[in-house]
Amino acid sequence: MPTPKSVVISSAGIGSRLGLGLTKALLQINGRSLISWQLDLFKDVQDLRIVVGFQANDIIEEVLKYRSDAVFVFNHLYFETKTGASFYLGAKDAGEEIIEWDGDLLVHPDDVKTILETPGEFICYSDITSEDAVYCKTDEQGNVLAFSRENGDYEWTGPACIRKEHLTYSSNNVFNIFERVLPMKGIKVRAYDIDTYSDYKRVSEIIKHW
Amino acid sequence: MKFLFDLDGTITSQETLPIIARLGGVSDRIDGLTKETIQGNVPFIESFIQRVTILKDISVKAISDRLAEVPLYEEVHRFIQEHREDCVVVTGNLFCWCEGLFNAIGCRYYCSEALVENDKVVKIKSILRKETVVDELKAQGEKVVFVGDGNNDMEAMRHADISIAAGLTHHPARSLYSITDYMVFNQTALCRLLNQLS
Repeated sequence: MPTPKSVVISSAGIGSRLGLGLTKALLQINGRSLISWQLDLFKDVQDLRIVVGFQANDIIEEVLKYRSDAVFVFNHLYFETKTGASFYLGAKDAGEEIIEWDGDLLVHPDDVKTILETPGEFICYSDITSEDAVYCKTDEQGNVLAFSRENGDYEWTGPACIRKEHLTYSSNNVFNIFERVLPMKGIKVRAYDIDTYSDYKRVSEIIKHW
Repeated sequence: MKFLFDLDGTITSQETLPIIARLGGVSDRIDGLTKETIQGNVPFIESFIQRVTILKDISVKAISDRLAEVPLYEEVHRFIQEHREDCVVVTGNLFCWCEGLFNAIGCRYYCSEALVENDKVVKIKSILRKETVVDELKAQGEKVVFVGDGNNDMEAMRHADISIAAGLTHHPARSLYSITDYMVFNQTALCRLLNQLS
């Protein structure tokens, strides 16, 4: 059954920390592009929006190999802005509830199912694995109370879901948009983002077992 | 909110120019001109004047009758019919050629005009610059969405509040990549987006 939520994949960035001269959506992971792995997970999402900027045409061509009904949203200021701006552009005209999904994020398929079926707003987090993570501080029920650069109970990875009336603009990071509407329900997921070359090698290994 | 649509390949599922050219047996000349225009070797206005010159001896009634039968994208046409008061066709094509097609679509339109005598085009009276329609509606306080696919839609899309490059019949012109807000490749995605905007 199609999910009523809109999903916004932010794929506008230049992937500078990865250093492969390629936007992350086009990274080859075990023989397939990263965006194609994500598209597999969102087969039942009717309103799929992909925010593009750097190498937009290449991403569009890659997506069109898999589905023709995605809406591409352009972030022309992709060099000056971060994922907050891309998410805002992708979400501002979308449905009532919008899931943000970074273009460099892979989530275990079972957890994706949970995410797509969970009603209302929420924030997803994972066990802490990164050195320069943004942390989530949570209460006993797992609700997210705050984000922190210093410490916390879990690592903020996304995805997260927001109602449109709570959406505001940020040229900074996505969590800067969500921290304005905390506290929010938390969901622990197995999520992996690809920021560096070692992340890339690690994720390639992990998803062999999915 | 006003929704402005390019005509050829955005509302119609076939380009109308090759159809007119076939009626007059001048397909080779029109194809050559179209190729030169798409490659940017002939500016749009000059291309339009040359096009009308090539096609002017074909019966205006025959063209209008033929174009009235051109298939439309069903979902796009349904959106237009459901939002008749807010939808506008904006085309550089001549009124005398498109009259039947405009009637079939059923909403307001802006187009170029020609003087017609004895069922033939004898003179171009005006050539529509699509961005003037956008500006006019914005001056009336309307928020304007423009849906287009070609180089000749670029200025109108740049002036619009929200622009959608629609690759329904052919891939959107490369020039639109640097200015468009949205890009879609089938009518379901386009109409979903339009309904979200409306």
